[in-house]
Amino acid sequence: MNRVAIVTGGAKPDSIGCAVVKGLRREGCEVVVADLYEAGFAALHDCLCVKTDVADPAAVEKMVLKTIQTHGRIDVLVNAVGGSWGITQQDLVASPPRGFRGLTNCELSDWRTILGANLDSAFYCARAAAPHLKKQGGAIVNVASVAARKGIPPGSEGSSGPYAVAKGGIMAMTRQLALELGEFGVRVNCVAPGVVASGRFNRVSQISKKDHGPEGHLGTIPMGRVGTVAECAALIVALCTDDTSYMTGVIVDLNGASYAA
Amino acid sequence: MPLSGLQGKRALVTGAASGIGHAIVSRLQAENVETVGSDIHDANGVIVADLTDADDVEKLAGKVGAIDFLINVAGGPVAPTRTDTLPDLPKGSLPFEDVSEEDWGRVIAANLTTAFLVCREFAPKMKARKFGRIVNFTSIAARRGSSRVGVHYAAAKGGIIGLTKTLALELGPHNVTVNAVAPGYIKTPRIAEASWGHDSPEAERAFIESLPLRRAGKPDDIAGVVAMLCSDAGGYVSGATIDVNGGWYFGP
Repeated sequence: MNRVAIVTGGAKPDSIGCAVVKGLRREGCEVVVADLYEAGFAALHDCLCVKTDVADPAAVEKMVLKTIQTHGRIDVLVNAVGGSWGITQQDLVASPPRGFRGLTNCELSDWRTILGANLDSAFYCARAAAPHLKKQGGAIVNVASVAARKGIPPGSEGSSGPYAVAKGGIMAMTRQLALELGEFGVRVNCVAPGVVASGRFNRVSQISKKDHGPEGHLGTIPMGRVGTVAECAALIVALCTDDTSYMTGVIVDLNGASYAA
Repeated sequence: MPLSGLQGKRALVTGAASGIGHAIVSRLQAENVETVGSDIHDANGVIVADLTDADDVEKLAGKVGAIDFLINVAGGPVAPTRTDTLPDLPKGSLPFEDVSEEDWGRVIAANLTTAFLVCREFAPKMKARKFGRIVNFTSIAARRGSSRVGVHYAAAKGGIIGLTKTLALELGPHNVTVNAVAPGYIKTPRIAEASWGHDSPEAERAFIESLPLRRAGKPDDIAGVVAMLCSDAGGYVSGATIDVNGGWYFGP
């Protein structure tokens, strides 16, 4: 029986989520991709792609039901959906609005969209998948950000205050879920990437060459480079396997030594 | 699936004669990493060396040659000597007033000085080759404090975290990552024999039941995390301390 994994935000070809989908396929998992980005589904023909607005709890329930109807079980959940400016159904490849939206100058609609995509989504998915994960044990991996560790300097093009708050919530949720699910053999861990050269990051850096999001200049990264989607995905996949069988509630920072918790 | 980025590499594991170190050697060898072990205690084919002695470290480096991965496991709450190479672990708690100055110095040397000397010996070659992965060993005793293992051990392991973060900053520009692993209650045969940290089987059971994952750790649980950090999955992880404790303590 193959293990069954759900990956949210796995359809865009240049995303961390998509690299996780491919990594889990290589591990022999059946993979369900929950994403709004239908244009990416054709390239994922060996996965069950379910168009899902993960910020909508009813849509998440339906996606989990479809997973169970198709594969009968859930072993892994990777909450990779998210973004610092909020992606809406109206424009799935939207570039970020110019400027920095801090907590004190963002619209309330920004707050709701960004919290919905980054934090509510992971909560809804974990809640819906938990009864199935508990049956045989498994792993949840959430994606936070260095933004939650050190905040985002005002002025950072393409980023937002609500994003840092949402990712801080992801860290707390990781620990809470680890306590609630540990006795069922479900491990819950989190990665906190620094700057990773995903499609999203590349769109931000096109807007502002001198400002590389929450990290500022590359010179502030001791390793002198941004991370790759592949190495971020490899870490997430490792947190789904037996290599990390005694880790739960842990936040693994990957940021080229730019911040050590 | 084997982890990517390990095959054909070379590793040194210190403290490799038994327990966690020995499990790491086996795991890396299973991933086709050419792995050499060292230890002050002569078992499992290790190169015998006292890593508190810079001359011994230099001699070890001469025997080992160039390496890609350096795994600094050597250490423990009781410092070994050249004559008592695998000392018994004490039972029960060790209040800090009972730690002698002599034991303080020995335990700091066995856990912190060893890692410093070995890193200092091998880091220049890693820098020159523009590749390296260093994994140091801290402990839950440093992360949350401990009334059982002794203040010297907790302090030495706290020092490992500062060493790790500093080396990550210094070696990052040379494509050398430096991380620490912080094991929780890992029931090695030696620790099981001392019923380490627990007064009775009932107390141990109650403690284990209080852990989110409801079990003690195994050496292989740690070896998997070390393999992960050495693989491509660890490529952008540096300066981090990875807690591997079944949910006992979540870190900062």
